[in-house]
Amino acid sequence: MIQFKETSLHKVNEIISRYPKGKQKSALLPVLHLAQVEFGGWLDVPVMDYVASLLSIEPIEVYEVASFYSMYNLKPVGKFVFEVCQTGPCMLNGSDQIIDYIKQQLNIGVGETTTDGLFTLKTVECLGACGYAPMMQFGKTYREHLTKEKVDAIIKECRAKAN
Amino acid sequence: MGRKLLLEKAHVEGIRHYDVYRREGGYRSVEKALKMQPTDIVEEVKKSGLRGRGGAGFPTGMKWSFLAKPDGVPRYLVCNADESEPGTFKDRYLMEFIPHILIEGMIVASYALGSNVSYIYIRGEYDWITDILEVAIAEAKQNGWLGKNILGSGFDCEMYVQRGAGAYICGEETALLESLEGKRGNPRIKPPFPAIKGLWDCPTVVNNVETLAAVVPIINEGSEAYAKIGIGKSTGTKLISACGNINKPGIYEIDMTISVEEFIYSDEYCGGIPNGKKLKACIPGGSSVPILPANLLLTTAKGEKRLMNYEGLSDGGFATGSMMGSGGFIVLDEDQCIVKHTYTLARFYRHESCGQCSPCREGTGWMEKILQRIEIGKGTMSDIDLLWDIQRKIEGNTICPLGDAAAWPVAAAIRHFRDEFEWHINNPEKCLTENYGLMHYADPIHVPA
Amino acid sequence: MSDETKKIKVTIDNITIDVDPGTTILNAARRIGGDVTPPAMCYYSKLEGSGGKCRTCLVEVAAGSTADPRPMPKLVASCRTGVMDGMVVKNITSDKVTDARNGVVEFLLLNHPLDCPICDQAGECHLQDLGYDHGKEGTRYQFARRTFKKEDIGPYIQLHMTRCILCYRCTYVADQITNKRVHGIVDRGDHAAISTYISKAIDNDFSGNMIDVCPVGALTDKTFRFKNRVWFTKPVDAHRSCTTPGCCGKATLWLRGEEVFRVTARKDEWGEVQSYDGKPGWICNTCRFDTKATASWTIEGLTTISRHSVIGANKYKTLEMPKETIKEVMHGVEPKLLMDIHSVSGVNNPDIHLSDIDRPAHSSDFKK
Repeated sequence: MIQFKETSLHKVNEIISRYPKGKQKSALLPVLHLAQVEFGGWLDVPVMDYVASLLSIEPIEVYEVASFYSMYNLKPVGKFVFEVCQTGPCMLNGSDQIIDYIKQQLNIGVGETTTDGLFTLKTVECLGACGYAPMMQFGKTYREHLTKEKVDAIIKECRAKAN
Repeated sequence: MGRKLLLEKAHVEGIRHYDVYRREGGYRSVEKALKMQPTDIVEEVKKSGLRGRGGAGFPTGMKWSFLAKPDGVPRYLVCNADESEPGTFKDRYLMEFIPHILIEGMIVASYALGSNVSYIYIRGEYDWITDILEVAIAEAKQNGWLGKNILGSGFDCEMYVQRGAGAYICGEETALLESLEGKRGNPRIKPPFPAIKGLWDCPTVVNNVETLAAVVPIINEGSEAYAKIGIGKSTGTKLISACGNINKPGIYEIDMTISVEEFIYSDEYCGGIPNGKKLKACIPGGSSVPILPANLLLTTAKGEKRLMNYEGLSDGGFATGSMMGSGGFIVLDEDQCIVKHTYTLARFYRHESCGQCSPCREGTGWMEKILQRIEIGKGTMSDIDLLWDIQRKIEGNTICPLGDAAAWPVAAAIRHFRDEFEWHINNPEKCLTENYGLMHYADPIHVPA
Repeated sequence: MSDETKKIKVTIDNITIDVDPGTTILNAARRIGGDVTPPAMCYYSKLEGSGGKCRTCLVEVAAGSTADPRPMPKLVASCRTGVMDGMVVKNITSDKVTDARNGVVEFLLLNHPLDCPICDQAGECHLQDLGYDHGKEGTRYQFARRTFKKEDIGPYIQLHMTRCILCYRCTYVADQITNKRVHGIVDRGDHAAISTYISKAIDNDFSGNMIDVCPVGALTDKTFRFKNRVWFTKPVDAHRSCTTPGCCGKATLWLRGEEVFRVTARKDEWGEVQSYDGKPGWICNTCRFDTKATASWTIEGLTTISRHSVIGANKYKTLEMPKETIKEVMHGVEPKLLMDIHSVSGVNNPDIHLSDIDRPAHSSDFKK
């Protein structure tokens, strides 16, 4: 049975209260973010159906939205997701080399997850950190001015957290 | 050194927090504005000459005056914080370090427009900045700047932050409104414009973060003082986010009277090109505006120094000029490959196309594939003309400006760097390991002493 | 005030007409008719919110109105742009429009599989017509065409996503005519697709109308699938007293002899479902999929088919054959035939009228 924790349900209701009556569909994006965090880092169909029921909308309305935005994972991902920017300004500052280095260190390709389920590598388009390139999104924040040494440190940090 | 209006207090310790911000003179504009008539505020913003800082440069006061005011229908102010244009990261800086200036500007704007509930739509990836803004909003509310009957004026205003979830297209104002309504970010077909039918079909104004922040100094110092800064129709200051191959990437507040050359080479700004390399090209206003080779960047076609303002950067039109855009300033040094850079931008626009209208949905992917082919040495001469024809058929024929945004970089790259494309095609093996460099543009390029 | 609304004048390709305020350029052009009318692949007058997406109906506005005669800077979607008094519009008289439309057609066909020979929509496909009118021979696209994972959407409707042009019409049908929408547009950009996401059967009383509004062969009738080419069937107008609320009971039956191969709603000259008393004549799934005996219908007579349509071919043998004029103008010289097609092809025997055959034509029919 899929159900938000009490505190998250509270949050959902608070979010819905930000919009006029009857416009609760507006809460869809923030509630999907909450759901993704709470239910394993991705949005399975039953999770989306649950969100639809919370907001009194049709499930297809949730699928349409979830599949439109790149931050929602529609397939399981690793515990740690490296989302490395590869757009122009980051490319100028060596994002290709960083991506290659991560691939090599984790022995996975772009879009793949390590066999231990720990890491997923994704390439993404511009994240608005062009002056601090190369960079990646790592969880809630960014890791910027990436170098091979910094990548090593991040991987180490993750492994330590996982143990 | 130019006046700073937005970043004046950026380096004050703790300016992110309410107490420090208030101590440094924050929220004075709200006190002043709430004693004015809303229409007078709109007039002030009109007279200030403030132009939208999101990219289009549309006069803000005029946009505000278009807002429909039917009886009994709520009106909304929405802040566009979906900063996603490659090369642009200025709004992030404001929100991350001086969040209260945005909130202050939004309260004034909300009062001027009659919006009792205002939303900040922020790009989903700025997750931690959402938290910063929410804390700042809570602080403002605690201190009576938001909520019911603000400062006893009878004006009520609530403010909320909504996170997007990864879609460049939501920076287009009607796609943003769709997204805010919990839908796919498909731009709406205009007319009707948001000023008539916006959020939940109510009259709505959508303004960029920097635009709303600029309302604070306009009210504090008066429109005349604001309009005196800058030059011509480029009044006030502009935040430039500089990146690429420069010594000092970051955010700069300029007063729009300086030259491009000064901006790139002066130590006050970008500090020149690293490792003694030469300047090859620059995209001065975010990835969608035309790229310019060094010679045309530093001087206009008439041979005058090009200035960092709306008129200066667009001098010469698209033939020999570019655009101010969002102020995302991307510098390329002599080692950069124009074909590859253009390819990454084409990939970006294909990835970000919403897929609603056919020229953009089909054309962006087609351009990406051809550019990739040229970049890896598998292109043919006819590919260049084909690219030109595709971009020409996308431009102006789409629902929203993403089509133009995808077409312009390709057009400009071919217009100014055609020989580099040809070199790729003529040297299919060499282009994989070597760069075209500056070869044929050797002379006019400025090298600092 | 009188009830009469003041008419406004609009000029399209040098033809001026009076229309009601609020009329779109496209609908004004449809009033004039003929070549002046821009093609529309996504707009559907009976579906609220439709239009604006495909960009085939782009036109040039040479003068905005009498009050403000400035031209509009960009081409506009005629289906979503209202006319103003004194507006001057250029459609086929504008080179800019022709150029842009050729581009749009190329974009629409870019990833299209061009599988017309096995597509049930062939012969009544708006994309075929559009390609015929505005397309170029050959393609400049040298990459693998887009494919999608196949999805089964139930026993009545066949979904071929590769053929879809994303007009969104079927989603509007689901929203506005059926009781519940279970399909929509998923993913984005060049991978956006019509889907239920969970391979759910689309099944409700009016879902079949999605087939009728689909301009291409993306949504076709499973009960008619591969049964016949539309131009071999004979369309007749028929009606029955249908008890489904909301069903107009008026349909077109597509016959071979006595057999009903397919039932569709009746279409008007723009390929849209016909209206009766101002209401669109949607039909229910019972009429469409489950009522395939001629005895269940009252047949009114032959459906009027545009003389340009391939469906009309071979149907009306009483029509006079066009007069051969070459011999006359060439002073008695017969046209020189490089090859008489009938001598090498058994299929094109001019003595055999397809409409005489009361079942699908077979090669044996031509070998008689």
